[in-house]
Amino acid sequence: MRAEGKALSGMNDFVPVHHASSEHRYGGMEVPSTSPGRYEPGSGAPPLVLLKGISKYFPGVVANQDVDLDVMPGEIHALLGENGAGKSTLMNILTGIYQPDAGEIVVDGYAKRFASPVDAISAGIGMVHQHFKLVTAFTVAENIHLGWSETPKRIGSSVLEARTAALAEKLNLAVRPSARVADLSTGEQQRVEILRVLARNARVLILDEPTAVLTPAEARELFKALKQFVSRGNAVVFISHKLDEVLEISDRITVLRGGRKVATEKTADCGEKMLARLMVGREIVLSNLRARQPGAAGISAEPVLSLKSVVARDDVGGILLDEVSLDIHAGEIVGIAGVAGNGQKELTQAVTGLRLIHSGQILLGGKDVTTAGAVDYAKFGVGHIPEDRLHSGLAPALSITDNAIIREYATAPVSKGFVFRPRLAAALARTIAEAASVAVPDFGMPMRNLSGGNQQRLVARREMRIASKVLIAAYPSRGLDVGAINTMMHYLVELRDAGVGVLFISEELEELFNLSDRIAVMFHGKIMGAVETASTDIEEIGLMMGGQMRSSAGAQAAAGKH
Amino acid sequence: MAIKFQRVPSAQPSVAFAARALAIVLALGVAGLVLAARGNAPVELAWEVLSSTFGSSFGLEDVGLLVTPLILTGLSVWVALRIGAWNIGAEGQFYAGAFSATAVALFIPGPTWLILPVMFTAGALGGLLWILVPTLARAYADVSELITTLLLNFVATLMVYYVATGPWLDPSGHALATTARLPHDVPEFWGIVHYGFPLAILLTFVIAGLLNYTRWGYEVRIAGSNPSAALYAGMPFRRRLIVILLMSGAIAGIAGMLEVAGTVHRLQGGISNNFGYLGIMVAVLARGSSLGVLAGAALMGVILNSGIILQTQGITVSAVLAITGLILFFTAIGNELAHYRITRTEPAAS
Repeated sequence: MRAEGKALSGMNDFVPVHHASSEHRYGGMEVPSTSPGRYEPGSGAPPLVLLKGISKYFPGVVANQDVDLDVMPGEIHALLGENGAGKSTLMNILTGIYQPDAGEIVVDGYAKRFASPVDAISAGIGMVHQHFKLVTAFTVAENIHLGWSETPKRIGSSVLEARTAALAEKLNLAVRPSARVADLSTGEQQRVEILRVLARNARVLILDEPTAVLTPAEARELFKALKQFVSRGNAVVFISHKLDEVLEISDRITVLRGGRKVATEKTADCGEKMLARLMVGREIVLSNLRARQPGAAGISAEPVLSLKSVVARDDVGGILLDEVSLDIHAGEIVGIAGVAGNGQKELTQAVTGLRLIHSGQILLGGKDVTTAGAVDYAKFGVGHIPEDRLHSGLAPALSITDNAIIREYATAPVSKGFVFRPRLAAALARTIAEAASVAVPDFGMPMRNLSGGNQQRLVARREMRIASKVLIAAYPSRGLDVGAINTMMHYLVELRDAGVGVLFISEELEELFNLSDRIAVMFHGKIMGAVETASTDIEEIGLMMGGQMRSSAGAQAAAGKH
Repeated sequence: MAIKFQRVPSAQPSVAFAARALAIVLALGVAGLVLAARGNAPVELAWEVLSSTFGSSFGLEDVGLLVTPLILTGLSVWVALRIGAWNIGAEGQFYAGAFSATAVALFIPGPTWLILPVMFTAGALGGLLWILVPTLARAYADVSELITTLLLNFVATLMVYYVATGPWLDPSGHALATTARLPHDVPEFWGIVHYGFPLAILLTFVIAGLLNYTRWGYEVRIAGSNPSAALYAGMPFRRRLIVILLMSGAIAGIAGMLEVAGTVHRLQGGISNNFGYLGIMVAVLARGSSLGVLAGAALMGVILNSGIILQTQGITVSAVLAITGLILFFTAIGNELAHYRITRTEPAAS
């Protein structure tokens, strides 16, 4: 810290430098910056990066087996696969975090060995991780220059900012150099991360699920920036679960399954169903689940859960929930769309008894439960799949049994009066694991040994058992692969058809549209509008996610169509 | 062929046990080497220690006397750890328990069958009161109990020094720094080992039972492992924390009461013999297991007793502290290494 401060205080000897950058390598190319043209490598041009026969083993696990991958200049190459398919391992090998047990990395025609990420970035390979690695208390300019060999030794903030502005302009990534990272939106933070990698002359940019944290508009901005980047002869490796955006942005797609490469195809030759099949090895249909099977419960006339002008504030009086009114009927799935951090978390806390609201009323089956606690809500039949299962819904270090029974430990058969019966607890855990189709070799082993998908299935099944009236499902598919997401969606449908009201919070518009009977959009703690799914479209929801009220959003979306 | 180390998230119990057993053996080995370098004959010393500890009932009785407070202070620290709290103050609570029990014995007249239970209660209450402020500070203001309990140790230690050399000094004039002999003794159970020994073991089983076979114990387990999960399920984390910490203080207080009423029979400065701090070690050695508390206390008891025997051979008591430190050090390394698996990989033919 001290060295940093010193570096920032001296500023007189800065001379604007022209660094060696992608510019000089591709200096001859003139690319109009407004409409990025396709970069066409000359025939016989070597791939920027070539992975040959990469294998990586962990005890008992084959993370990668004989994987080939070639990334050509000028292409966006999507890497697709389920959780645990080996995408991250492969990219960790390419960026020097892991060393392969077998195989070769060839960059620009030369075989390379990366002992660390520093080696990889000096060879022009940089990665933007899903969780940003920025210092939030520092400005954008400071973050860009942090730990960079080209940062001048003695330099002041205005010069840092000027350098950053110059870089941003050259690389066409709009950032505010003097802003603190903590004050930036997630989309802006991501741009800073990308700029940081590109400033170090990366020619291959690896992005791990970059759109998970973005609004549709921000995602479009990102895509534009990526297309410009590759038009200069660079390449992007784009890791994603989301089939639609992969189809939209990429030039070629490589699918991994079980650590092996299944296929590399031109995107033009791919379709969603085909990709889903390649990823999971069987046919998966993520389709409209709104239609009811015969025999399913109908939507009740009276709401089962009702919020009336609910206001929640943080410790210093800031508004978290702003006059939220929402009805959820039995047998109905109400989707909550919105970029994470716009009050969804506080909404789930309010309707599960985890947060005392400041004013307003919450009714459950007509009964006032505004001041009830978490135990009361559970007793009243409200299940809760929490946003961050490992942090709040589970005790990862404790046994699977202890975790499975957290909702029913106080009642018979697990407890009788004060007495807790471990054997009956284990029996209940077995029942829940069977319902979730999770094979558990040992119920005494710690929860964290299970995969994310299995953990989520167990949590979902555990909560479904107590959700006789309402289930609050916060991002139930976050971090899961296609197969597990499909299971989650069918769980919610199963509850809906049994006459339970479901509040379904998600960032995935496709999921929301496939599942919800109505969709409400949250922005800055407010409900921007609740609409029948059948009478809206992604455009309208997207506009509301960006902060427009229902009526104007509808009008604008309609105007855009004409 | 390459040999690789791979970290696994949770060690296998058998590996963890082996690692700790190895750590203890290594620590004793290192201590032996140091003694050899000093000119002692470690093998003969070890034989001397083993034969005088296990060769006669006297040796075992000595160990039993040492093990009793170690079980209780170990249990005290261990129980706080169940909810994720570090009670570094078992030492102070031990003194507070001994102090309160002594006050009862010196100033309340009555038959032993009546006064002894009162002393026991007073000892437990003394320990409980000593941890009360750190407990409330942690529960309501999130002040680290680690610091507050530690600091109160010095207060308790000095308080006992003060009363034992000042107001409560033996009026007979025979002693310089102790109170008079207490009129009530905890009866003996085997040789010189008093009934505190079986009581400590019983208390360990009672607490283990509470934790494993009650709803309350399950809530403590969840709250100790992940407080957010406890709040999510609506468990009263704060109430459980308060009860567990008070319990922890009371157990250490009982240790102090038994030491003064069963073993030393007088309150004196330094009566705790570092039992409170050694309890931290017992709890660390025991990890998650209540039986581990008994085993850890037994091990520490044997080591302390060996120290006394070594002293007769001209080796200072500090050597014993150094050996216990080595054991803790090697155990920490062993616990970490137990997370690693060694694998051999054949480089693929290219």
